[in-house]
Amino acid sequence: MLSLAWVVLIPYLGAALVAGVAHLGRLYSAWAAGLTTLASLALLLPEAPATFAGQTLVQRLPWLPQAGLDLAFRLDGLALLFALLILGIGLLIILYARYYLSERDSMGRFYAYLMLFMGAMLGIVLSENVIQLLVFWELTSLASFLLISYWQHRADARNGARMALAVTGAGGLCLLAGFVLLGEIVGSYELSAILAAGEAIRAHPWYAPTLILILLGVFTKSAQFPFHFWLPHAMAAPTPVSAYLHSATMVKAGVFLLARLFPALSGTWEWSHIVGGAGLATLLVGATIALFKHDLKGLLAYSTVSHLGLITTLFGIGTPLAAVAGVFHIINHATFKAGLFMAAGIIDHECGTRDMRRINGLWKYMPYTGTLAMVAAAAMAGVPLVNGFLSKEMFFAEAVSFATQMRFGWLLPLAVTVAGVFAVAYSVRFIHDVFFNGDPVDLPRTPHEPPRWMKVPVEVLVVLCLLVGIFPALTVQPILSVAAGAVLQAPLPAFDLAIWHSFSPALGMSVVALAGGLAVYAGRRPLFALAERSRGRLDAQRLYHALLNGLFALAGGLTRALDAGSLQRLVLLFVLSAIGLGVVGFLGADTPLRGERALLPVDGVSLLAALGLIAAAAAAVLLHRQRLTALIITGAVGLVVSLIFVKFSAPDLALTQLSVEVVTVILLLLALYFLPQTSPAESSRARRARDGLIALVAGGGTAALAWAVLTRPYESIAGFFLERSLPEGGGRNVVNVILVDFRGFDTLGEITVLALAGIGIYAMLERLALPGPTQDAQGRPWNWDAHPAIMASLTRLLLPLALLTAVFILLRGHNLPGGGFIAGLVTAVALIMQYLANGVAWTHARLPANFHPVIGAGLALALATGLASWAFDHPFLTSTFGHVHWPVVGSIELASAMAFDLGVYLVVVGATLLILVHLGLMHGASHSVPSEAERG
Amino acid sequence: MTFPMPDLLPAAPEILVLVMACVVLMFEAYAVRGQADRSEIVARPRVAGYVLTLLTLLAAAGLTAFTANGVSATTFSGMFVDDAMADLLKLMTYLAGIAAAIYSRQYLADRALMRGEYFALLLFAVLGMMVMISASHLLTLYLGLELLSLALYAMVALRRDDAVAVEAAMKYFVLGALASGLLLYGMSMLYGLTGTLELNKMAATLAGGVDNPVVLAFGLVFVVAGLGFKLGTAPFHMWVPDIYHGAPTAVTLFIGSAPKLAAFAFVIRLLADGLQPAHADWQQMLAVMAVLSLAIGNLAAIMQTNIKRMLAYSTIAHMGFLLLGVMTGELNGYGAALYYVVTYVIMSLGAFGLILHLARAGFEADALDDYKGLNSRAPWLAALMAILMLSMAGLPPFVGFYAKLTVLQALVGAGWIWLAVVAVLFSLVGAYYYLRVVKLMYFDTPHSHEPVLATPGDARLLLSVNGLGVLLLGLLPQPLLALCLEAMRLTYG
Repeated sequence: MLSLAWVVLIPYLGAALVAGVAHLGRLYSAWAAGLTTLASLALLLPEAPATFAGQTLVQRLPWLPQAGLDLAFRLDGLALLFALLILGIGLLIILYARYYLSERDSMGRFYAYLMLFMGAMLGIVLSENVIQLLVFWELTSLASFLLISYWQHRADARNGARMALAVTGAGGLCLLAGFVLLGEIVGSYELSAILAAGEAIRAHPWYAPTLILILLGVFTKSAQFPFHFWLPHAMAAPTPVSAYLHSATMVKAGVFLLARLFPALSGTWEWSHIVGGAGLATLLVGATIALFKHDLKGLLAYSTVSHLGLITTLFGIGTPLAAVAGVFHIINHATFKAGLFMAAGIIDHECGTRDMRRINGLWKYMPYTGTLAMVAAAAMAGVPLVNGFLSKEMFFAEAVSFATQMRFGWLLPLAVTVAGVFAVAYSVRFIHDVFFNGDPVDLPRTPHEPPRWMKVPVEVLVVLCLLVGIFPALTVQPILSVAAGAVLQAPLPAFDLAIWHSFSPALGMSVVALAGGLAVYAGRRPLFALAERSRGRLDAQRLYHALLNGLFALAGGLTRALDAGSLQRLVLLFVLSAIGLGVVGFLGADTPLRGERALLPVDGVSLLAALGLIAAAAAAVLLHRQRLTALIITGAVGLVVSLIFVKFSAPDLALTQLSVEVVTVILLLLALYFLPQTSPAESSRARRARDGLIALVAGGGTAALAWAVLTRPYESIAGFFLERSLPEGGGRNVVNVILVDFRGFDTLGEITVLALAGIGIYAMLERLALPGPTQDAQGRPWNWDAHPAIMASLTRLLLPLALLTAVFILLRGHNLPGGGFIAGLVTAVALIMQYLANGVAWTHARLPANFHPVIGAGLALALATGLASWAFDHPFLTSTFGHVHWPVVGSIELASAMAFDLGVYLVVVGATLLILVHLGLMHGASHSVPSEAERG
Repeated sequence: MTFPMPDLLPAAPEILVLVMACVVLMFEAYAVRGQADRSEIVARPRVAGYVLTLLTLLAAAGLTAFTANGVSATTFSGMFVDDAMADLLKLMTYLAGIAAAIYSRQYLADRALMRGEYFALLLFAVLGMMVMISASHLLTLYLGLELLSLALYAMVALRRDDAVAVEAAMKYFVLGALASGLLLYGMSMLYGLTGTLELNKMAATLAGGVDNPVVLAFGLVFVVAGLGFKLGTAPFHMWVPDIYHGAPTAVTLFIGSAPKLAAFAFVIRLLADGLQPAHADWQQMLAVMAVLSLAIGNLAAIMQTNIKRMLAYSTIAHMGFLLLGVMTGELNGYGAALYYVVTYVIMSLGAFGLILHLARAGFEADALDDYKGLNSRAPWLAALMAILMLSMAGLPPFVGFYAKLTVLQALVGAGWIWLAVVAVLFSLVGAYYYLRVVKLMYFDTPHSHEPVLATPGDARLLLSVNGLGVLLLGLLPQPLLALCLEAMRLTYG
């Protein structure tokens, strides 16, 4: 049922097999590779008759329906042709490579990569779904990367492989974008739907971007101008790889896609100009450069580029007959170019070099290989009786007929003829330089004929060239017809695969090309000199490198500008971004900044408070280098804020703010202990001015926003709580009722967090002693009397008073300002004062040093109050209100929430002390006064 | 006042993690402290916190999976929601937490950091993420965010004698506080405008039209800026490289994985849930942020010599890609973005896990040069790293490819062709630096030929599963993608 999936899968399994048997011996890998390829072929062939009957076989397997992606395979004429080429030439390559690779090369690795590549390639040609096609497309890039870099120890191999991967991989991503667009236009990623929707695609507004993205993929893969530069560099690969990748497979994937999407995309102005233009440029550039390459494989590489250009040009012309010719040339090029690469490999193998200035006169040493090479080269040149002639003739005919339709059309036959001239010239050079032209120049080895079986693959290919060239109708006609039919998705045009048609312009062009080619080769010396002088000037590779360098420069600049690693810089960027966003937001809307709410009158107290705040803030900014002073001033800001709370009738908040402020200042003092008294001014005056300006703008913006929001009407939730505080919570102090009743659950959570924070800090600081400075900037000790007697006596006097106040605040909390939280802070501050004034040792001698039980007891009490409500059949924490009936005393209004509040109090005292004491103990100086214990 | 007991079942995993985080903390503070002097404490790695953390996360995963039924359940007066997206993201978060713990164990032990603090902070961070993921109210969102952020600040500074780490933590804290300020500012504007903090109600109010577009614009701008910071997208990305670079790798691994899930949830909850009616307004901002992130992330990554820093920039680019999915404002886009973030987290875990795996006492393995010739020293690790890098680059058949594909499809489906093309172009640039790592590992000669130290078997096994999972999810992308799309459909469909 899923035979096609297996055809693709088997090479992958083969790769694993090959790698697995590699350790058994060198030949096992080759055999395993060959047998799996045969197995794949054997699965494919039973489907072939149906294809020849004109049917299209589609097999699918649900895979990723959300992305419109089934695992779908398609076998039609085009797919069959390519699959046969891939598997057939693949078999020959496997045979050839077994003799080509030396003892030092790992056979297992080579064949495993080769099988991976073969599987990916089969995946491309057999895919029905374009996204799936793309997956295999990228896989060929990866596999070819591995193959090209097979000789990892060679720098040129690594660079060539990277360049090939960079260019084709990049093209693949463009192709992905193109396919996604195509899928959106058609509504399906299946080829059957896409090929049937040609009209809709061409009329769609996205047609141009889709086409360009897809063509970018095609051109990079098929090494079309100006992306052709990677292909010659990929010649660093072992020759069997070049023979496979650059004749029948990798580079053909691009033209395969052109053929595949021909019915969907072709026939527009854009198509013919972009595809035809790129093809023609490639044809000319490749043919010219090929002649001047001294490297045997370099010549073949550029000739491959040129022939790919020829095929692309044919598809660009866009007539049905041109498409047929394109398919035909794909077949022919695959056969003769594979043969030529293998012949070049034999020569390289036997001579130890590929430089045509040194390899001469090989005819004496290897006449048989020479004959084979000559036939294949004749096909490349387009000599009659060999297959290359037939497709080239069709190409010339198409060029001429295209020329009659356009104004400057005559340029096309001219350009094509020039390319033909060069093709003949480099073919002649390939044969004449290598096999004749004097004697070899100090070759590393003495050449002789290669082993018998190394020649067999070349023989097979050369025989094919001849058979197709002489009996085209008998040999190639059936497969060409079904393949071309699949390309066109329409009835085939009439075409005649005969060697002799009549005297036509095409024949004339062939004759001119042959004669011209011989003439150019004869006069090659001045041309070579010219090429030598202009070398490196016409190299598209420079574009690639320039592009890369530009990218690096851009990236470098960007990194230097943004990645400075300085916090000040980062904050600057951040604040500027915020200001920018704010401005954009403001400009984007057209409502006024000020809302419609009436303003309150300004009274003296508020004004004074505001002035006080401004003065304190300004002083803090100016004096921020003197840390202690700055801290005191910040404390003053806190005090003014608590006054503002008093002004707005929130005594609770004021009390809280006051006590929190004190604790915070102590906390910061403990941290300041470890820092120098002043921080140095590191930035220049100008920079400070700039920063000041930015700060003003940002602050102004914040103020403007606050203004905008505060002047707009809003409904506060205060009313809700004011109404319900007494009847439902049993307290007149709304804030306290909220804390212990309405949001009692939250408070329970909060004290838990406070307790945890205390424990966390304890866990972190326990037994940690940091060396802090014991003297000031001038070298004077902090104090020669760490615990002055007056201070100590005063705080001891203060302690009972403060504790009394705390109890008072705690008890009245439910109805009047106060509560457990504030009381706890007051107690904690009073106790901390003892530590500060008398030292740790003295205090610990009188006060339990372990605060954990206090915290635990507080939490337990609060929790028990909550749980107690369950005993009265109320939900958790609900019964924390109400009247308690005491039998003797009578009914007293005593909110049970007070027990809860006591829990809060205990936790706050315990946690605050735990934190502050341990922070204080961190400093070495806190431990170093043993005599404190004796002080009374 | 009667106290209505909220339905606690939807929040059961959160409660479990909270309790266990406290237990781990207390255990650290009391059970171990009492017995030995400090030097011994430091020298001996303690596994109790580690084991408890793993058990907690596994139990939470069990709870979440057990209660997952695809139905949205709201509790705590509409502040907390448990829906399909939340379940999926939470499960991924536990997974990331577990992986982080297992990968980090050896690294922490080598550096005398294997203490309860790391694991307590990790659990608190996980809790913060869970709260963010399940938030349906601005307060809950912010609460979760701060819980996560505070835990992360402390984690970055875990090696308190390491100047680089402390500096990183300082930067993270200062910038994070600024960003939180911006976010709160924006939230308060939105509250002033709509009179509600509940996301559903906010959407309903906004859908009815607003009379104060200036306030809406301000609110949106600041909220989106805050989001951008938490997500680490340009132009609010500056903290990412420094923090990734400076933090101990074990912490970087954690920061680079799970919080992305929470940040995604944050974005979706806030924008897709609460601000959907203002879609046209925030779409533009996200587009700009996405393009900037793709550009800066991919370009700057090229120049890095430190692999953690390189991956930091790559994160910026990935988060830009994620935004592309979100900005479509369509269900498909959200689903694609969810799939993207989930797969990204898997890849990121693997990559940092591998760095951790190569590090040993006194050697961080975080310079790109340390990867030269890895193939000749540890071929299996090199192969895993290659899989991860190729997947991050978005090459098939790895899962990263499908993640990019689904986002691109959503983008094109919403008509944003030029953005799709820009995204693809920058992915090209991105491919360069991922492939450079592959090149270094396979083609360059190593500095030293010493074999990679043997690390605990469980970490090694997990690493293999992680790397191969990236391949397997690429070969069979269907189940995970279906899960993500279905979760989104159930939640917002």
